[in-house]
Amino acid sequence: MNRVRRLKFVLWSLLGLAASVAVPRFLFGLGASTNLSDANPWGVWIGFDVMAGVALAAGGFIVTATVYIFKLDRFHAVVRPAVLTAFLGYAAVAISLLFDLGLPWNIWHMMVFWNPHSPLFEVGWCVMLYLAVLALEFFPVPAEDFPRLAKVRAVLVKARLPLVILGIGLSTLHQSSLGSLFLIMPYRLHPLWYSPILPLLFLVSAIALGISMVIFESHVTAYLYRRQPESEVLASFAGASRWVLLIYLAVRFGDLLVRHQAGQLLAFDWRAAIFWFEVAAMAIVPIALFWTSRVRQSRAGQWATASLVVFGVVLNRIDVGGVAHLRPDGAFYLPAWTEIAISVGVVSAAVLAFLFMVERFRVWERRPADPEQDPLKLPEFDAVDDTWLGVPGIAARTTYSMAFIIAAAFGFGFLHVEAAETRGLEPIPVHQARGGRDILWIDGNLDGFGVTFKHVEHEKREGAKQSCVKCHHMNLPRDEGTACSRCHGDMYLPSDSFRHDWHASPSGGRVACYQCHARGQARTAATAVACDKCHKDLVPAGAAIKVKQYRAVAYTEAMHRLCIGCHVKKAKENKKPEMTRCDWCHKDKRQVIDSREIVLRRRGLTGINVVLPPPDAGGK
Amino acid sequence: MKAAILTDTTKCNGCHECVVACKKENKLPLDLPRRWDLDDGLSARNWTSIVEGPQQSLVRKQCRHCLEPACASACPVGALHKTSVGAVVYDAAKCMGCRYCMMACPYGIPRYEWQAAVPYVRKCVLCYDRISAGRQPACTEACPTKATIFGDRDQLLAEAHRRIRDNPGVYVNTVWGENEVGGSSVLYISNVDLSFLTGGHSPGTKPLPSTTALAMEAVPFAFCGVLTLMAGVNWIIGRRMNPQKDEPDE
Repeated sequence: MNRVRRLKFVLWSLLGLAASVAVPRFLFGLGASTNLSDANPWGVWIGFDVMAGVALAAGGFIVTATVYIFKLDRFHAVVRPAVLTAFLGYAAVAISLLFDLGLPWNIWHMMVFWNPHSPLFEVGWCVMLYLAVLALEFFPVPAEDFPRLAKVRAVLVKARLPLVILGIGLSTLHQSSLGSLFLIMPYRLHPLWYSPILPLLFLVSAIALGISMVIFESHVTAYLYRRQPESEVLASFAGASRWVLLIYLAVRFGDLLVRHQAGQLLAFDWRAAIFWFEVAAMAIVPIALFWTSRVRQSRAGQWATASLVVFGVVLNRIDVGGVAHLRPDGAFYLPAWTEIAISVGVVSAAVLAFLFMVERFRVWERRPADPEQDPLKLPEFDAVDDTWLGVPGIAARTTYSMAFIIAAAFGFGFLHVEAAETRGLEPIPVHQARGGRDILWIDGNLDGFGVTFKHVEHEKREGAKQSCVKCHHMNLPRDEGTACSRCHGDMYLPSDSFRHDWHASPSGGRVACYQCHARGQARTAATAVACDKCHKDLVPAGAAIKVKQYRAVAYTEAMHRLCIGCHVKKAKENKKPEMTRCDWCHKDKRQVIDSREIVLRRRGLTGINVVLPPPDAGGK
Repeated sequence: MKAAILTDTTKCNGCHECVVACKKENKLPLDLPRRWDLDDGLSARNWTSIVEGPQQSLVRKQCRHCLEPACASACPVGALHKTSVGAVVYDAAKCMGCRYCMMACPYGIPRYEWQAAVPYVRKCVLCYDRISAGRQPACTEACPTKATIFGDRDQLLAEAHRRIRDNPGVYVNTVWGENEVGGSSVLYISNVDLSFLTGGHSPGTKPLPSTTALAMEAVPFAFCGVLTLMAGVNWIIGRRMNPQKDEPDE
């Protein structure tokens, strides 16, 4: 029983982590909680949760078809777990979609606003209907325990055959339509994966995966609950699976040959490598293994081979869903940990629900012994000093809720709150404007779009030395003309120019609390004495701008206020309205390049001291 | 009238007046660089931009308003559609945020409001309100060099071919948007190859909705076929397993 409990402990922890991540997802949006971008609008929530999730749940329709359509009754033992897995799998897909959709509360729109041309519309409808069908197919199992539901149960049992047939129809449609989704992006999906028969490939691989998933799941649960797997039945499934995989392999390579893309297979690039890895894992190696009767019959062989197929097909779905896409240069996507946490959390929830169902209801022929019930243990005492070693075995539920809460707390701790708050506005440290005192190159985010500020001209025009205080409104102690970026540290965010800890440190003069914060008052910025109480030379005499607090506004804001305020005035005085336009200072890229050349030329002529950024400073 | 825009990149001097006019007309928010931006200048807050092509050419990028738009075909709720005047417009009230349109667009035009807790897809809508009222879009109105002009698609196509014919050696002999993915309402003529806008290769002349059409049209037949097949197989096997019961209960 400890295996189950340990697993549940881990699953509850993962669920807690996911719960914490869900908060910023819905509070701040997709940009703050994922690594998705305009170049990669679909990420791991589609590539894994939806694409692979639906395929992983294919066992349901395979097994129901085997038992109820082909009437192979010896497979009956795996029907219930397979249908349950399918139901929970689809439920997990639906929940993941709620995270991935930008407007999840509008998911019902698909029922009202129809676009039958869209493969996604079809997938959505099928998944919705099939989820309902699976619920009805599985409902008789829990209903067994409730005598009141006997009538409903009887109706559903009678309706089983039509339900099964409907379920197979729906599965065929959407398993293949998941492939159709990508038919519309021939320029985006790599030719090794893009194919007009993608729907067929998806359907065949889903069948293979469904079979393998039954084998895989039976062995995993057998390990967990120390029960006997349905080995003989599974061996028959393994035998069937190799044929399906063989057909798949033939179709896949035949398709490449017909489309004249087989040459890509030998290309020495990472996409070809991924292709080979994927095909080897999902088909070539499993076929070879399942063709050996010893592997087919042995527990370890069945388990390992089925796991390989599961891994391979999931990899295939992820590849088609994103890895094998051709993207604009440099637009690389690696899921954020928050994205993975949600994906893993949803899977954990599904597994927990599965474990609950098999423990509570008769999913298997024999219900497993209740794993929560610990044999009664006496309190333990330390052998040496008779210290009581605590309450033996905290009740399982307490353990799980603790795991959940602690994991959620950790999750909150790891969340990059600033990144979430600024929503993709990443702090870009402003580098001190380069260029000495004559001409400054102001380009805070180093993207090549900047302003060449003619410092020397401004200084001359505004009245030489006396003009410094018009802009330099605050200097660091024992400094004059402190660079703007010393306080206005970030391009878009306000920053803190006061180094609190430094003041308390020995090198900062070891200033005691009460020297700034009056005794008996709250120690906040508002109650502290102003900086210029001690630093008499902080604000230069006659400074045009009065600073009241140590919190500096963002760099762009400061520059804009300062420059535009003055330019507006000057534009009126000099009757030059164009002075107030953005492109008066912010030339477009080409003009920046031009002005760079002008400056370089001028340097030779007049000896003005200009330091320009290196020509390739554009891409950072 | 089939509204269209013709952009002649040889006339563009990169003044960004169209970009500014677009921002003003559509009341787009402040332009702050974001993590998820592509470097082509288009974003949820910039529906048109000027990108630098080969040989320092300046190309205005915007939604092409395809005649058979892949985005509209892909959208599961029909939030995007091609209007009779030619604009591909977006109905935010229908959108559920699946972003399939962004995946489907061969030009990579639609952008997302990743920063918002209630995000929408954003792209040029050809100033649908203005052109419905008989005015021209803000961008073409603002262009000081008439590098980008508005008019009827057929007339603009004729004009484009006339310019290419009358100025031998100036233009590449292609009107981009005449046939690409079935043609689009935004046309380009240029002195450089504009295929860099689609990753260096032409997207072909086949309308993209046709790629999924076959699969989608097969859906009802496949569904009925599978249902019939399954019911039939079940019936036959059922009969074989109970040979003494020749006729099933009616």
